[in-house]
Amino acid sequence: MIETLSAPGETRSATAWERFEALYRSSRDDVYAYVATLLRDRAAAEDVTALAFERAYRRRRTFDRRRGEERAWLFGIARNAALDELRRRRRLAQLAADPEDTAATEVDEGDVALRRTAVREALARLSGREREIVALKFHGGLSNAEIARVLGVSESNAGTLLYRTMEKLRKACDATS
Amino acid sequence: MRLRDETPLDPKVVASLDAIDAVLAGEPVDPRHAELAELALLLAGERPEPGVPFATQLDERVHRRFAAPSAPRRPRRRWLWSSAAGVAVAAGVAVAIVISSGSPSRPSAPPVATSAAGSAPSSASVPTPAAGRAPAAPATARPVAASGQVFSSGAIGRTATLQPPSSGRKVVQGGQLSLTTSPSRVDTVAQEVFDVVGQERGIVNSSTVTATGGTGGYAQFQLSIPSGALAQTMAALSTLQYARVASRTDTSQDVTDQYNADATRLADARALRTSLLKQLANATTQSQINSLTAQIHDAEASISSDLATLRALNNQINYSQVTLTINGGPTPLPAQSGGGGFSLHQAAHDAGRVLTVAAGVALIALAALLPIAALGALGWWVVAVLRRRRREQALDAI
Repeated sequence: MIETLSAPGETRSATAWERFEALYRSSRDDVYAYVATLLRDRAAAEDVTALAFERAYRRRRTFDRRRGEERAWLFGIARNAALDELRRRRRLAQLAADPEDTAATEVDEGDVALRRTAVREALARLSGREREIVALKFHGGLSNAEIARVLGVSESNAGTLLYRTMEKLRKACDATS
Repeated sequence: MRLRDETPLDPKVVASLDAIDAVLAGEPVDPRHAELAELALLLAGERPEPGVPFATQLDERVHRRFAAPSAPRRPRRRWLWSSAAGVAVAAGVAVAIVISSGSPSRPSAPPVATSAAGSAPSSASVPTPAAGRAPAAPATARPVAASGQVFSSGAIGRTATLQPPSSGRKVVQGGQLSLTTSPSRVDTVAQEVFDVVGQERGIVNSSTVTATGGTGGYAQFQLSIPSGALAQTMAALSTLQYARVASRTDTSQDVTDQYNADATRLADARALRTSLLKQLANATTQSQINSLTAQIHDAEASISSDLATLRALNNQINYSQVTLTINGGPTPLPAQSGGGGFSLHQAAHDAGRVLTVAAGVALIALAALLPIAALGALGWWVVAVLRRRRREQALDAI
């Protein structure tokens, strides 16, 4: 969670910058993980992550704390950028097949390796919305309330979506096993 | 848009979500949720990590505060330009409406009928007839203010200087003057009329002053002004301090022929009377005396009648009849003194008029801008909804 780092007597501009910097430091890897899971393309994820932070920097003065926490606001910007990227890729018809997440491939042994493989396969079979909620929860590190804020749904609805996705993943993993 | 849903979650769902949160926070979970906890840990373990070169490059960009020019600035500038253009168009429309509708500062006076006064004929084509050619000389009427227009008293005073009667001619002059003032100043203007008439040694034959304090204040005067002072009197009445001239009509009628005829008839009657008196002195019989006495009596009656007629005509020639009315209007405007001078009161009045016009223009501009702003807001909302829908469709298409 982001804490305000402004000290008494600082100018408003400096305070806004320091708050953004703190948000960046605490959220850079989370945003990247969320976008990479959603896009399944590391190069595109890097571009979208950079674009999301730049947009957040440009719009940092428009952030209204009453409308939610900074992380939810930042992930909303990243989500829009990622969806714009998906639209662009769909228009260019370059998404014939999802690229493999090769960096996550590791040499595992035994039962753990089998389970990880099953999880990856199950994750790959999820719909875009289901994969997004997994990305927000387990890779972005958002709370259910923050997920609700990013997706524009109620908190109970977000919890229900997460529960159903987990059940689907669990059954898919069991079937693979 | 965040939806509010007060529907409580199933306890089983809540327990599962709590277990997920607990395992992600590194806390122990109930053995019943061991499988779910393991799945959550495996999912968390699948988290992609950014590469070091990318992280380093992004750190540098953030440190430089994204110094390179970025694209998002452009739409904002376009928005500013489009807003400025919209305001300019609306202002132009407002100014055009104001100009086409005429200046709101000029009051519209009711139509004022101007005609020759008294018995003068309405035709004003021949100002000065030749002497002795017609038994009744035509009259001249000079309507000063055009119908439907209101001029300032100073302007009328300058443009309508009465001409004195030509020497040797007998001319009956007259005039009608209609003034407007504020309802609260009817009394003041009436007093000014009395003062002017007194200064010019004129006579107020009759007067009616009704001051209500509100609209409807009214005064009427019937004045007899020495003909020699008629011009300056009319000029003075046209330039009263708190009144404006709504209309003014000057009339004149050449009565030289009528005057000469009356004078000749009087002289004839007097000559007849003198002759009869001589005959009476030479009369010898009673019947002659009685007859001459009766004729003399008739001649004297005729003399008296002709003399009265001539005196009345002389009075009309020497004193001009002026009818003056004062109307208390709703928008009083003090007259300029000295023919267009500049005073603090006038400046304040002009400033008020400027502010009124400016407020009107602003109101019209606002009326023109509101629909534009509403259309802009509607368009922005439609674009936002469509963009959001397309994004969601992109997510569904994965």
